[in-house]
Amino acid sequence: MKSIVIIGAGHAGLTLAREIRSQDKTVPITIINQDPVQAYYKPNLSKALAMNKSPGDLILKPIMALKRDLNVNIIEKTRVLKIDPEKNTVHYLAKEVGGENQTSFGLEYQSLILATGASPIELPIKGAAGNVVSVNTLQDYALFRELIETKKRVLIIGAGFVGCEFASDLSGQGYEVNVVDRSSWPLQAVLPEPMGEEIKQTLSNNQVNWHFQSTVEEIQRDDQGPLNVQLSNKTTIQADVILSAVGLQPNTQLAMAAGLNTRKGIVIDEHCQTSAHGIYALGDCVEYNGQPLPFIAPATLAAKALAKTLTGNKTRLLLPPQPVAIKIANCPTLICPPSSQQGARQGARQGAWQVKGSGQDLEAQYLTAENEFCGFALLGKKTSLKGEFLSRY
Amino acid sequence: MVDFKTWQCLTCDFIYSEADGIPEEGIPAGTTWEDVPDDWQCPDCAMGKEDFEMQEVTNTSAAS
Repeated sequence: MKSIVIIGAGHAGLTLAREIRSQDKTVPITIINQDPVQAYYKPNLSKALAMNKSPGDLILKPIMALKRDLNVNIIEKTRVLKIDPEKNTVHYLAKEVGGENQTSFGLEYQSLILATGASPIELPIKGAAGNVVSVNTLQDYALFRELIETKKRVLIIGAGFVGCEFASDLSGQGYEVNVVDRSSWPLQAVLPEPMGEEIKQTLSNNQVNWHFQSTVEEIQRDDQGPLNVQLSNKTTIQADVILSAVGLQPNTQLAMAAGLNTRKGIVIDEHCQTSAHGIYALGDCVEYNGQPLPFIAPATLAAKALAKTLTGNKTRLLLPPQPVAIKIANCPTLICPPSSQQGARQGARQGAWQVKGSGQDLEAQYLTAENEFCGFALLGKKTSLKGEFLSRY
Repeated sequence: MVDFKTWQCLTCDFIYSEADGIPEEGIPAGTTWEDVPDDWQCPDCAMGKEDFEMQEVTNTSAAS
């Protein structure tokens, strides 16, 4: 019997496997993954210091438990070479049993699911090679923790979700943190200025130095000494470790090489199907209604819908508004970004923020030119209004 | 005395405490797991009620 084959064992791939198994106890499932396979919750990587957890502590389930509990075949540390949609076959490179040499294997599938995730965008900065790290996997994070262990100063490039969470987590443990971003306030893409200013202030009180409307121009290392980071505003900052958090780009290479329709991401329809019959995609690698679908919740919902479709009960992907909590010490923050994740709605919507409240306790709604409510953000005590704001959609 | 329990999401570690409820989502303090609506989703990762497990230790209040 042919397998359901899933490429990728991040949240999307593993959640899909679990959901398929809850619908069908016997259908064979094979997961192929480039990295070692273990279940962990990626958003915790930027909160682990405050949670007092080591990289190892973040593992929710090791590979053996996954194989046993999900009754799946897992091929880890293995790179998929190509997909052949004509022959319903995935080719991957692996060692033969008992052998030394790598051989190409072909695996036929009944359905193929791409859960290939997204990779950190690397800015073309002079001197960045070998001096800048990104954290997008548990392995990355373990390396990052080793790098910072005996160090004090971390420079973060990017003041978005991940950059702000790391700034909070690191500064909370006494690290001296500098954040560089070309925008004008933290989370500018999804927050109005007064809220960004509150977050900026809160973290400034915790020894985070911000460098807005700036970019990193060059990085130089003095032998084994610290890194000298030159900014476009003519400031030079010394840092021990540089963390880049400037966003992710969907991993579309395999899909593109197989002739599937890709744009920003792998294009899927409302049943998570790609342009090729029998090949599906979900999670950080996709583009749906013209937009990528980042964050955990859309991947979870896609996994649930797709699992039903794959087991004979064709189910549409529905994406209700899903607020994202950002962990900023002493400043609870909840954001439901305008326009995105509105399944049926297309493209970014023109509109404006309206902000109410005082001090840290702020509420903001995003209204379109036609006065339609299509996003919100809540800070401080106002985060308790989540339910009320969700009911406004 | 009511013996409140806590339930943990298998995907993201979110903890639902029956004692605390989630008032901002319309689930009052003291709502037992059984009375949490079936279509309720984990506020962090959107997994469903069926993806939660009861925690053995029940005498702690919810992690914040």
